[in-house]
Amino acid sequence: MPSALKITLYIGIFIYFILILSLLKKGALSLKYTLAWLFSGVVIFILVVFPEIIYWFSVLLGIHNGMNGLFVAVIGFMLMILLTITSIVSNQRNKIKILAHEVAFLEKRIRKLEEKEYVK
Amino acid sequence: MSKSKVLIVIPAHNEETNIKKVIGACKQKCSDCDFLVVNDCSQDKTEEILDSENVAYISLPINLGIGGAIQAGYRYAKKNNYDIAIQVDGDNQHDVSYIEDMIRTIEEENVDIVIGSRFIKREGFQSSATRRIGINFLSFLILLCTGKRVYDVTSGFRAVNRYFIEFYANSYPDDYPEPEAIVAAVMHKGIIKEIPVIMHERDGGKSSITFKRSVYYMVKVSLAIIICRISFGVRRGKHNAERT
Repeated sequence: MPSALKITLYIGIFIYFILILSLLKKGALSLKYTLAWLFSGVVIFILVVFPEIIYWFSVLLGIHNGMNGLFVAVIGFMLMILLTITSIVSNQRNKIKILAHEVAFLEKRIRKLEEKEYVK
Repeated sequence: MSKSKVLIVIPAHNEETNIKKVIGACKQKCSDCDFLVVNDCSQDKTEEILDSENVAYISLPINLGIGGAIQAGYRYAKKNNYDIAIQVDGDNQHDVSYIEDMIRTIEEENVDIVIGSRFIKREGFQSSATRRIGINFLSFLILLCTGKRVYDVTSGFRAVNRYFIEFYANSYPDDYPEPEAIVAAVMHKGIIKEIPVIMHERDGGKSSITFKRSVYYMVKVSLAIIICRISFGVRRGKHNAERT
C-alpha cells in the first residue's frame, strides 16, 4: 500500500472516530446503535495497519487490486449498517404506532371524565 | 339481536362528507352494538362532526394509515372485552344492515372471521374492471399460498371473533392491510367465511387507492402475502388445536 494512501486513511479513520466519540459525548448518538459503526471502524483500522490481510483476502476472492478488496469490505460494512438502521426504523414505527393508540385511548378517557365534571 | 358484546369499528380519515351518514345508519340499524369511530388524524371537520354527534370516538395524534387505525379499534375491543368486532369503512360504502347477518354467522357457525363480499352474488357496486382484475389476482395468490379461496380480498367489511380480536390487536399489517390480514388469519388456522353483501359506490372523499398508487399497491400486497406465507413455513398456528 502506498504510504501517502496509508497516511490519508489513518487521518480519515482518526476523524471518523473523533466524530463518533464527540457525538456520543453530546448524547446525539446512543451507544447501542453506534456499536456497528465502531466495530466497522476498528476492522477498517486493522486492515489499514496490516494491509497483508486485504491482499490475502483479495486473492481469495479473485480480486486483482488489493485496494478494491478494501472497498468491497467497506461496502459490505455499509450495507450491514444500513440494514441495521432499517430494522431499527421498522421497530420504532411499531412502537410509535402503539404509543399513538394509547394516547388516543387516554384522550378519550379524559374527554369522558371532563364531560362528567361538567355535568356536576 | 344477540347476546355477544359487539363493537363496530369505523376508521375515518378526512370523511366529513360521509361520516355522519355512516353513524346515522349504525345508530338506526345496529342499536344493540357499541361503536367506535377511529379518527385517523383528519385534517377536515371530521372531529367536530364526531363531537356534535355524541358518538364514542378516539382521535389518533398522528396519521397511522388504515392499518394502524383498524388496529387501534381491535386494541380497544380487546381492552374493553368485546366478543365480536366489526370493521366498517367510514366512507359509507358498506351497508350496515348486513351486520346482523355477520354477527349471526359468527355466533351460530364455527367461524372466526366473516367477510362481507361483493363478488358472491355480484350485486351492487362491483368496482372498475381493472380493480377487479387486481382483486382476482390477489385472490388467486392467496389461494395458491394458503389453499383458501376468498373472493373479495380487499373488502374492509369484516366481523372478527374474540380470538382474532386479540390476534389483530397484537399485530395487524400496515398500509393496504386487508389481503395480508386474511393470510395471517388463515395461517393461524382461522376459519373465514364470506357472506354476500351489496356495496355502494363511495360518494365523497377519495379511495385510499388512486390509480398512481395501484402499481405500488399490487407489488407491496403481493410481496406481503408471499412473505407472510413464507414466515410460517409448513407448520401453522395452534388455534384449532387449542380449541378442540
